[in-house]
Amino acid sequence: MILRLAFASLAARALTVGMTILAIALSVALFLGVEKVRTGAKASFADTISGTDLIVGARSGSVQLLLYSVFRIGNATNNMTWDSYKDLAAQPEVDWIVPISLGDSHRQFRVMGTTTAFFERYKYRSGQPLAVSDGAVMDDLFDAVIGADVAATLGYEIGAPIVVAHGLASFTEHKDQPFRVSGILEKTGTPVDRTVIVSLEAIEAIHVDWRNGAQIPGQSTPADVIRQMQLEPQAITAALIGTQSRLQVFSLQRAINEYPQEPLLAILPGVALQELWQIVGIAETALIGVSGMVVVTALIGMMATIFSSLNERRREMAIFRAMGARPRVVLGLLVLEAVLMAIIGAALGLALLYAGLFIGQPLIDSAFGLWLPIEPPSMRELWVLLGVVAAGAIVSMVPAYRAYRMSLADGMMVRN
Amino acid sequence: MKTLHVLVLSALATSPALAEETRQLGAHEHGVGQLDIAFDGQQVAMEFHAPGADIVGFEYAPESAEDRAAVDEAVAMLARPMDLFVLPEAAGCSVAKATAGLESEEEGHEDEHGHDEHEHDDHEHDDHADEATHTEFHAEYLLACADTSAIANITFAYFETFPNALEVEVQVISDAGATSFEVERDAPTLDLRGLF
Repeated sequence: MILRLAFASLAARALTVGMTILAIALSVALFLGVEKVRTGAKASFADTISGTDLIVGARSGSVQLLLYSVFRIGNATNNMTWDSYKDLAAQPEVDWIVPISLGDSHRQFRVMGTTTAFFERYKYRSGQPLAVSDGAVMDDLFDAVIGADVAATLGYEIGAPIVVAHGLASFTEHKDQPFRVSGILEKTGTPVDRTVIVSLEAIEAIHVDWRNGAQIPGQSTPADVIRQMQLEPQAITAALIGTQSRLQVFSLQRAINEYPQEPLLAILPGVALQELWQIVGIAETALIGVSGMVVVTALIGMMATIFSSLNERRREMAIFRAMGARPRVVLGLLVLEAVLMAIIGAALGLALLYAGLFIGQPLIDSAFGLWLPIEPPSMRELWVLLGVVAAGAIVSMVPAYRAYRMSLADGMMVRN
Repeated sequence: MKTLHVLVLSALATSPALAEETRQLGAHEHGVGQLDIAFDGQQVAMEFHAPGADIVGFEYAPESAEDRAAVDEAVAMLARPMDLFVLPEAAGCSVAKATAGLESEEEGHEDEHGHDEHEHDDHEHDDHADEATHTEFHAEYLLACADTSAIANITFAYFETFPNALEVEVQVISDAGATSFEVERDAPTLDLRGLF
């Protein structure tokens, strides 16, 4: 009975109620969206590298080295020399070592030079290895393996020719040494999806006729001649290391960090990620705080509309009272109306969030490489929704209490 | 800045002649120690570093007999990991190997397997002249445990033993990957649940 009354009362003021609900829905969607992006980003970062004990590069900062070498974000770190790499590879503690060389690009995608060991050693999402969905890993000097996003965006198939550009978004292309797509990797949800992988020698090969960042005019070494050449890189960007035993990781890290011949830095990927979250954590808290305040604002807006409706409904309330309804019933009606608004708002907010995720997911993935999973709401999110409804009920108590206190006579009086 | 004379004891050094040209210094923050823990099967390896100021309250090379006694006592205490970093009884851990020593920034690396009094004596006057000298205590432990998964927490009695120490930065490697913690004097317990 009272529920029907509440519904009918809300329906009678459809426009103001609708606006209030919309405000609550938007604020809830924003709050949950921020939460979603935050947890999604964390999971996506944490899933990107696994099974690698140490990442070694030129001495910079652990976060910078991790971001550049694994996520290809941020400023380039200095290169490390090939001599140091060979020195490290010869250490007894080192079980495997995979070099990474960055710096060239193909269209909007990064080109990474490495060895075929990369495909065995690089693991993501708690130990999952890379898989080739089509073709095979590189065999020839001019073979390239491309990530799933590269293949999808550029429409490449096995055998397609690729011209690598010098640097990023540069006009100077290594046209004389075109590559051939030899394999396409399965989608991983990591930066590998947006990477063109070639051999370390290939990175050297395309720079054979180049000096000081420009092509030597009129010089073009045929591919066959290059194949005969001894292509040993001078420098690499970073190296991934796996140790023989986990017990040796820290001593190897220390030894690398104190390596006297070259200033090197060895980082533990998990620890560097944690450092990153510590930095990002402050901004995260601020973001959550702001979106929380938006929810509060929407609820206060609801309180304001209920307050202003009290004046309109002065007579209505008085009639209820005259008909025999107790003040408590009037209070209950107003709180119920507010709770209904909050419930509809929260549900609509959830719907908005999923609609937004559905539309935004591929866009966010291609723009930021961040894969936000569409999952049923977590316990935490349900608690948030419940909290919004409860807060709505509490907030509505204030105007409801006023209606409760308003005397019957006051409502019956005709005001001018 | 004082030249860092890297004694070529580092396992990575291949050419001593080149190494002598190098000038580099490590990080040094008073009050903050560093503990690295690696769990592998039934073995737990720990590596501990702490500034001399935290352990004995001074960072010059020991001069008086008192200083020397303080350093020796500290080294002896650092060689007993179970008294500093208390593991749960249930884990059944025992110390398989423990070494501790004092190393000075100026000297670079000290031989990690012992505390060589002589080496310090050689540099004593040098150290005294240079105000920027920092010393660091260094210890390495290897524990054998019946059940490493029972190590749900580590209590840092270390803070009680060394009143100058304020914080220890902890890095842990386990099957779950690498992660880091900060353990402070106010809350001297490291919670390791979720790592096994």
